[in-house]
Amino acid sequence: MTLHPLLEPGWQLAVLPELILSGGGMLLILFDAFLPRAKSALAPLALIVFIATTWSERLFVQGGTYFGGTYEISPITMIFDLTFLLAGMLALLFARDYLDREGIEGGEFYALLMWGTVGMMMMAKGLDLLLIILGLEILSICIFVLVGYHRRMPVSNEASLKYFLMGAFATGFILYGTALFYGATESTNINTMARWFATTTQTTPLLTIAFVLLMSGFGFKLALAPFHPWAPDVYQGAPTPVAGWLSVAPKAATLIALVRLFNAMGPVLPKVSWMNMVATLAILSMIVGNSVAIVQRDLKRMLAYSGIAHVGYMMIAMLTVREESVAAVAVYTIVYALMNIGAFGVVSLLMKNENDPHTLDDIAGLGFRRKFFGFALALCMFSLSGLPPTAGFISKFFIFKTAIESGHTTVALIGILTSIVSVYYYLRVVYFLYMKEPAEGYEISSAGGVFAVGALTIAVAGILAIGLYPTPLFQAAGNAARALLQQ
Amino acid sequence: MPILSTLIWAPVAAAIVLAFFPNRAQTAIKGWGLFVSTAVFIISLGLLRGWDDGRAGFQFTEDKPWIADWGIHYSLGIDGISVWLVLLTTLLTPIIFLAGWNAIHKHPKEYVIAFLIMETAMIGAFVAIDLILFYIFFELMLLPMYLVIGVWGGARRIYAAIKFFLFTIAGSLLMLLAIIYLGFVAYHQLGEPSFNILDLYGTQLTPRVQALLFFAFSLAFAIKVPLFPLHTWLPDAHVEAPTGGSIILAGVMLKMGTYGFLRFVLPFFPQSSERWATLLITLSVIGIIYGALVAWVQPDMKKLVAYSSVSHLGFCVLGIFAMTQTSIEGSILQMVNHGLSTGALFLLVGVIYERRHTRLLADYGGIGKTMPVYATFFIIAVLSSVGLPGLNGFVGEFLILAGTFKTHPTAAIIAATGVILAAIYLLWLVQKVFFGPITNEENRHIPDIAWNEIAAMIPLVVLMVWIGVHPTTFLRKMEPSVQHLMTQIGAEPGGKMMVAQGGSQAHRRIGSQDRPTTVCEPMSPCASEPRSGGAQ
Repeated sequence: MTLHPLLEPGWQLAVLPELILSGGGMLLILFDAFLPRAKSALAPLALIVFIATTWSERLFVQGGTYFGGTYEISPITMIFDLTFLLAGMLALLFARDYLDREGIEGGEFYALLMWGTVGMMMMAKGLDLLLIILGLEILSICIFVLVGYHRRMPVSNEASLKYFLMGAFATGFILYGTALFYGATESTNINTMARWFATTTQTTPLLTIAFVLLMSGFGFKLALAPFHPWAPDVYQGAPTPVAGWLSVAPKAATLIALVRLFNAMGPVLPKVSWMNMVATLAILSMIVGNSVAIVQRDLKRMLAYSGIAHVGYMMIAMLTVREESVAAVAVYTIVYALMNIGAFGVVSLLMKNENDPHTLDDIAGLGFRRKFFGFALALCMFSLSGLPPTAGFISKFFIFKTAIESGHTTVALIGILTSIVSVYYYLRVVYFLYMKEPAEGYEISSAGGVFAVGALTIAVAGILAIGLYPTPLFQAAGNAARALLQQ
Repeated sequence: MPILSTLIWAPVAAAIVLAFFPNRAQTAIKGWGLFVSTAVFIISLGLLRGWDDGRAGFQFTEDKPWIADWGIHYSLGIDGISVWLVLLTTLLTPIIFLAGWNAIHKHPKEYVIAFLIMETAMIGAFVAIDLILFYIFFELMLLPMYLVIGVWGGARRIYAAIKFFLFTIAGSLLMLLAIIYLGFVAYHQLGEPSFNILDLYGTQLTPRVQALLFFAFSLAFAIKVPLFPLHTWLPDAHVEAPTGGSIILAGVMLKMGTYGFLRFVLPFFPQSSERWATLLITLSVIGIIYGALVAWVQPDMKKLVAYSSVSHLGFCVLGIFAMTQTSIEGSILQMVNHGLSTGALFLLVGVIYERRHTRLLADYGGIGKTMPVYATFFIIAVLSSVGLPGLNGFVGEFLILAGTFKTHPTAAIIAATGVILAAIYLLWLVQKVFFGPITNEENRHIPDIAWNEIAAMIPLVVLMVWIGVHPTTFLRKMEPSVQHLMTQIGAEPGGKMMVAQGGSQAHRRIGSQDRPTTVCEPMSPCASEPRSGGAQ
């Protein structure tokens, strides 16, 4: 019953999560179009689609490659799929109350979230640079629209346009780099490229240019310094739950694609100075992100700069692609999803409207008034700054441990020193929450229903559970990384 | 549940339960805090009942894999070095609840929760024998203390809280890197990952690596102690913290630094410790004198006590790096003493601040007439802090100085002037506040110390006298462990300490066995009688 030589048997199951999400998104749009009054049913339906997708991931106990060796299902793709789904679900739950408050709820919002997730899944599973780019583009288009989703707000539109123009440019870099890689290695398939790199002993200027172009493009998507200046503006303008999602999920997808690429280049990397380039990007990101975040008064901009720094930490682990380092990246992205989307989520819930900047003064004294939200935000801040007993500590510890074992002690030292700086601005949020009196005439935001509380409970429980007992997650990530690198 | 785990987890479990108390039930909230912490103290007394006096190693040990892939275990154990510090922690926590019964009006629930979490962290740090576990508890105690200073503190509380946090975290994050590196080196030598300190003790390090790691660890602990010139956060934190926060900070948290030197720095890096001992001794002697001189000129009572802490903890570090059995035992005892006497002083300063809302010496005078009971307690605490023979402070300082004199006589002589200075500034304080005519009319009718404050002071005074009169009770338990520590650092190749101390292992053991009689009963012969292997 083979339809086409490239369609191996079982391919339907292989893309089942993607199919459910794509179809679910379309149904949601239709649902909203035909039953415009039943908006309150949209979020539960979307949640059901996400849960169904998560369940469908279970069907794959053993992996394989599909579509002519371009699509891989393996433990590592499963872990990243689950990260994307987790990020999507958290964003969805936070968005529900937020959209309701702003009066802009619509089926297409959830649909775009799902399709963006499909794009990321393709990036994580793609074994071919072209497929990765395809996934990236699906994701990017969804992001353009989601960032500008708050149509009546000029900042939102501005952010969308900014991201669109610069994102298009970055995609151009990636495409051009891919073309040059194809010219040099005669393939865009990562496994074929790996075989080519295994036989080569030296690099050509062509390859170096290709690498630089790719790193610039991916660096943009990751918001690595010096490709970061879009991030604060876009996060500030985007609807807050979207900003949280945007700061986590696309980065995770880009990182797994980079892991594959670096792994393919493995034999060449020690001989060339490419990794010094990556290390420079990591160091710059940690320094720029952490030091500029100090002077931010707007919470969303502060979290944007902190995100730049966090990608810097993740890049430390990427400097040597080993089993531990891949596992460290996988763990870090999951933890980062919990704490960063959680932090953005609370910000979206505590603010009374979206038009004004989200300044620190707005959360003054809220810690004792809205106790659970205050506690959750404080916990996210402690976790982001890497203090025990939170998941943030464990994952940062993993990164630094990997770095030292790979011999990158200097980079790890810079990472530690910049974390000391970061403690200051994360703690300042706690200071405003608990140690300041609320401003005169402050009114508490009306948002924050059962969905938001549920999402925050997931985030808080996850941060504490991983922080206190990380072993199961570490083992899963370790096994997945081993499987990835043994190919 | 094993005793150490109970001690660690009972407070935090009680804090979780407390989170569900209604906010208005203030008496129930405070009562719960007092009840739980008292229960924890009573449980912790069980450590003494089951104590094996002859054992040098860890007792009451527990071990469960936690992050097994990395060799990180939930390993607990307690020995003669940590046992008194744990008991000090469990004793001081109910005392702050008792003393602060009427003092805390703002968010009492969160206040009690913060202190219970702190108790968990402090006990955990003292009994963890896995380096990562220690680190986690070591950092965990920062967060509640940050909130305690920042939420319940004085006028400049924010500045003080952030300064406290940043100073401490800067040191401890560098130590984290050093811990990871140490674990990495040990992994290669052991063949399997482990962060258990017993495994790590034997790690062979090249001199350069050892020096780097030594400085990373020492920086973290020196900030915590705090050692001159890293002490600047301490006066701010103490002055701004509420009374309970000051008591815990001075009583227990600062001891994390000195404990860290004893437990980790000396045995992990014996050669570096020996090589840089002079530096640390110099800094601690400067701290002793400098802290005393600055305390002398303070117009604020709390600041005066805070600077006296800098001075007194200088003695502890001095005793540690003098590296003789006497001085180290003195140092551990002095940690406990300082917790008792400075804790009592902070408590008493808090009592009067509650009544008069000023801590300036100039606002007082002659209140010994209006508050006789209060004055009595205050003077006992001051005399204990000064080092009056018969009270605890004398024994600790005497042991430290006697031990230090053998290896670093100059340092001992200079440090001894610190004792004189302490007498000057503390008695000066007493004279100004309590004696003479009543200069300020407002002081004529201050209510005397209340029942709950008396109840909080009594155990402290009892212990001050007990340690002062019969220190053997306390020294006996720590002796085998300190001996063991001396073996660890003395037996290393190239260790000059053995020669400098003029004794082999056998000598030292003989010397220390008859030590209790030498030290405790007759005070004078100790100085003239060289103890550990005086034959050379």
